[in-house]
Amino acid sequence: MKLNLDQLRDLIRLLDESNLTEIEVEQDDDRIRVRRDPAPVAGAAASDAVAPAPTSSVPQSATLAAEDDDGDYVTSPFVGTFYRSPSPDGDPFVDVGDSIALGQVLCIVEAMKLMNEIEAEVAGTIVEILVENGKPVEYGDRLFRIETS
Amino acid sequence: MFNKVLIANRGEIALRVIRSCRERGLRTVAVHSEVDADALHTRLADEAICIGPADPSRSYLHIPAIIAAAEITGADAVHPGYGFLSENPEFAETCAQCGLQFIGPRPEQIRLWGDKVSARALAKSLGLPILEGTGLVEDVEDAVKKAENLGFPVLLKASGGGGGRGMHVLRSKEELRAIFETARAESRAAFGSDALYFERFIERPRHIEFQILGDMHGNIHVLGERECSIQRRHQKILEEAPSVALTEEMRGDMSATIVRAMSEVGYLSAGTLEFLLDERGELTFLEMNPRIQVEHPVTELVMGIDLIDEQIRIADGQPLELPAEPLTPRGHAIECRINAEDPDTFAPSPGVITELHMAGGTGVRVDSGIYGGGRVPPHYDPLVAKIIVHAPTRPQAIAKMRRALSETIIGGIRTNIPLHQRILEHPAFEDGRISTRFLEELQGECVLTATVRH
Repeated sequence: MKLNLDQLRDLIRLLDESNLTEIEVEQDDDRIRVRRDPAPVAGAAASDAVAPAPTSSVPQSATLAAEDDDGDYVTSPFVGTFYRSPSPDGDPFVDVGDSIALGQVLCIVEAMKLMNEIEAEVAGTIVEILVENGKPVEYGDRLFRIETS
Repeated sequence: MFNKVLIANRGEIALRVIRSCRERGLRTVAVHSEVDADALHTRLADEAICIGPADPSRSYLHIPAIIAAAEITGADAVHPGYGFLSENPEFAETCAQCGLQFIGPRPEQIRLWGDKVSARALAKSLGLPILEGTGLVEDVEDAVKKAENLGFPVLLKASGGGGGRGMHVLRSKEELRAIFETARAESRAAFGSDALYFERFIERPRHIEFQILGDMHGNIHVLGERECSIQRRHQKILEEAPSVALTEEMRGDMSATIVRAMSEVGYLSAGTLEFLLDERGELTFLEMNPRIQVEHPVTELVMGIDLIDEQIRIADGQPLELPAEPLTPRGHAIECRINAEDPDTFAPSPGVITELHMAGGTGVRVDSGIYGGGRVPPHYDPLVAKIIVHAPTRPQAIAKMRRALSETIIGGIRTNIPLHQRILEHPAFEDGRISTRFLEELQGECVLTATVRH
């Protein structure tokens, strides 16, 4: 086989651009084989990198405060309706400026007629209340901004 | 009619439901997990609610979160899609208790057909042909006795199983004795029950299923059959309608039997009765799926019907307005399930879609939940697209599907498109000589060829 250097380069390029590990060309009684180790196969490597992707590290407990540049947040552990007070005409559980203790009830998120009391997981001060009373909240929505003490 | 439909699902089926709702002027609510915040169903619905983290048990399977999402958005109906909560009778019941119209069968029907043993008994009492089988086995000695009476080979099945899981082919009593306790433990671990029974084992069956619709006025319609024999480990990969293995007479007879049976139980909404077709041409009942199925589009194409829209009309109490029986299929349809997986090893291949071009042109339909730049998360089903073609004849449909697959570009992840291409090129497939073992045998050939080359 009269294979010149350019043609050999083409074969190598073809191998590089493909997912193949081996190319074999046969003409008349001549044979040329270009091969590489399977390790650098682009497709396989990419997928291996993706496959074991860990499930995102979502807060597992009800009111883990999500840390951020501008403070700690209490996020909603359920989808439901946000209530600031235990009854429609009752006083709110907390207000801006209040100091809160670990385990103190901050609000209620109602889901399926069940009133779920949301407790503080950290002690600190309420800096901002981010949802209006009676409004719907989704899973993970920020409810309060807290300055931890 | 209800005004706003919550779709308790994700991926292509969530989009499928959103589309029919939108065409009917109904508003839609998507629910999604945190990893699906940018998924297509989330983006295309009128409203979207995050219901939990990626883990399905805390999001798409979490009934209180889904009901709460319906409450806060004012949705008044729920479509469950397939998988997830679609066959959970408690979910259908909870929807009803919360004043939400469940777009699907009644809870008691879901419960009735959900257990394989009671479903078999019910089907038998309704006059459907049943594969010879036994009642539940007590212990290993009882199992040997029952299997010998039935005659080897037998299929040992878990009563609580489904989707092809919890089954063993046994060719002798020695094999049965060897595996019995393991099978029992597996069943207990996988399905929470160690109830096992036997069925006659058919060596090379075809999988044939009939689509039905029932309304609140006692009408039952059979919308022909689908052939789903191309399976891998009991998971369907390629489906078509009609089946080349059924004559008009067989189709007509079975349709009449099904109409009688389903009228007796007053079946509501869409459902599918699955059968095995043996080498002698006998159909025997396998199971009933009380929900919409992945492969429903092939029926839609040959019957000229929108099954999701019919489900919506049925849930609203409207009568079916289909032509009198028997409905005859027009042309031939094929569906290829495109999965994010390696075509040879079947290893899942999640990731970011870097490049996407979907097939088009006459007679090609694509139902898909992916988009360029979107992500296929590793937490869910690998189905990323369904390519469905419709043509006047089966050979034309095969040619059209080959053409459609050759146009399709999905970059960034690996898909089973090469596997579909191998199936569609195979002479046995072209001739319609297929069984549920087709793929197993095709892969055997590939392994053989590879060995010879070395």
